[in-house]
Amino acid sequence: MEQQDRIMDGDLQTLGLQSILKMLALSEKTGKLFVSSGPETLSVSLRKGQIVGLHEEGVAQADLLAMLCLVGKLDPPRAQMIRELAQGNMQIALAMLVERGWMSADEMQHRLEFAVTQSISHALRWVNGRFAFHRQLIPLDSKMRPLDVDSVLLEALRQADEWEEIVAGGVTQLTRTTVARWLPEVSKDVGSLGLSQDCIEVLCLSNGELPLQAVSLVLMTPEARVARNMARLLELKLIEVVDTALETELQGDLSNIIIKGQHILAQRRNSPTPEQHLLGLITTLSECINGLLIHHGRYARHLRGRGHVPQDDIVRYLDRRFAQKLHMLTKQHYPILDTATFAYGQLDCNDILTLNKVVKGEQLEEFYWEAVQGLAAFLRMIFAELLQDEVGTSHTGRQLGVAWKIFLSEIDHEIQQYQIYRARRNVQQARGRESMMPSSPMSIVQNWHGVPENNGDYLSPGTGRRSI
Amino acid sequence: MEPTVLVVDDSPTVRKIVQMTLQREHIRVITAGDGLSALTSVADEMPALILLDIQLPRMDGYHICQVIRKNLQFRQIPIIMLSGKDGLFDKMRGRLAGSTEYLTKPFDSGELVRTVKKHLVNWQERVPVRQESMGMRPRLRYRT
Repeated sequence: MEQQDRIMDGDLQTLGLQSILKMLALSEKTGKLFVSSGPETLSVSLRKGQIVGLHEEGVAQADLLAMLCLVGKLDPPRAQMIRELAQGNMQIALAMLVERGWMSADEMQHRLEFAVTQSISHALRWVNGRFAFHRQLIPLDSKMRPLDVDSVLLEALRQADEWEEIVAGGVTQLTRTTVARWLPEVSKDVGSLGLSQDCIEVLCLSNGELPLQAVSLVLMTPEARVARNMARLLELKLIEVVDTALETELQGDLSNIIIKGQHILAQRRNSPTPEQHLLGLITTLSECINGLLIHHGRYARHLRGRGHVPQDDIVRYLDRRFAQKLHMLTKQHYPILDTATFAYGQLDCNDILTLNKVVKGEQLEEFYWEAVQGLAAFLRMIFAELLQDEVGTSHTGRQLGVAWKIFLSEIDHEIQQYQIYRARRNVQQARGRESMMPSSPMSIVQNWHGVPENNGDYLSPGTGRRSI
Repeated sequence: MEPTVLVVDDSPTVRKIVQMTLQREHIRVITAGDGLSALTSVADEMPALILLDIQLPRMDGYHICQVIRKNLQFRQIPIIMLSGKDGLFDKMRGRLAGSTEYLTKPFDSGELVRTVKKHLVNWQERVPVRQESMGMRPRLRYRT
């Protein structure tokens, strides 16, 4: 069936896309033209020699609805509704926006035409590849008014030339899939930078999530022009190109640290005594801190692009960045952290973990509690700095930030369990003093295990009777 | 069309990390925090693969696995047990319950992706056809 429908195929080196399209237009053919090069495939639907649809495969499709939200042309709940109904089909999504009066029919046509021109312009630059034309494969209900092949080709060729000019000018690192993001140190006041309106718009959309192609689509600015503006912003050191491979690796490494931390936390849950509960938290927190320090030694922006960095340089960098902060934290809030040492780019908490050899009883618990609070503060500090430095305010950064907050909430939950126990113990100690009854802390609040659920079941016998 | 993976774990951290990791690979992820919600999600969403923790509130992973394996419509879904237990006995128990593979926590995100992708080959052939349109919403029966 497929073989019968295919009436023409060949190599792009023999016959270029421009010639194929011209030929199909002149003979007023109806059907679908497939052009492929490497992993990318473009399918152009033609009816009586005019373009009525286009679809690209092999490249991630830009979420036009999300982008319209970003530029304030659509509100997110409406976008979500349309997204669910359109199921990823841009033509249907735009048609629905028009039906509901959220976009004019002219704008829809303009956007569809623009998308077609961009895709054809991109495909015109393919040197190697194959093409095939199949009859009668066109969708029945195209939302787009038919486009004249000649005018589309003219604009597409002009834009392809613009790309060539940019490449000839030395900008070779930008492609339509390039994702850029603001550098962390860029001030939010873009108006004071003396940039053109075009550049500001590109800068605003460089959020580490949208590829160049998507920025072009939402701004309705040709990809080549967006690339030129990006190149200018790169020159001014306002944005950077996201290294996807590095970012994937970095995200994987941080995920492993969080998963490991969560695993240690889960293993230490349900400790038989408050001291062991606190020790478990200290172990979890210190292991997370050290994991993050090792990670940052590998991925810090300052150390990137230098090939193999000697361990001494990494240690010096980590000391410079975090040792002083630990010192300040120790001095101002948590003196117990003085017993922890920051050496060779790692935090050594062994002295805290073996405090039971020198201190006993309530004092030991107090020290452990202070260490938990101090280490939790230090952990938060390290992660915030590390994330800002490594991925900035990008999509990956936000995703990791959310995962981190969830993990911290699990730690906070464990800390809270101890706080509840502690508060109850203090209340009962105060009551004990009032009634002049001598007792030890662990005998006042029995069954430490019962605290985590905080459901009112866990109370000392005396309190239990009172609540009844 | 993206494959859907159901992640069942009582830890919100694990759920989020797995979701983040798999979404990067263009895999749709849905999550459940306990055994019963997991079974509801299996019936509602018909995932292409299930990542299942063992220790769960309301119903443990072994039990969920057995319920799914006994159901004709869902028995083909690969189930990867995800647990902190790495003893031979636990792995054997997982196998007996019908798990396809066993990943030990703390797992490596790269290993997770590799394992998931391995079992997602030809996922479209295995996913049961939606039957709501015929008034036959799939059901999972279980005894608690």
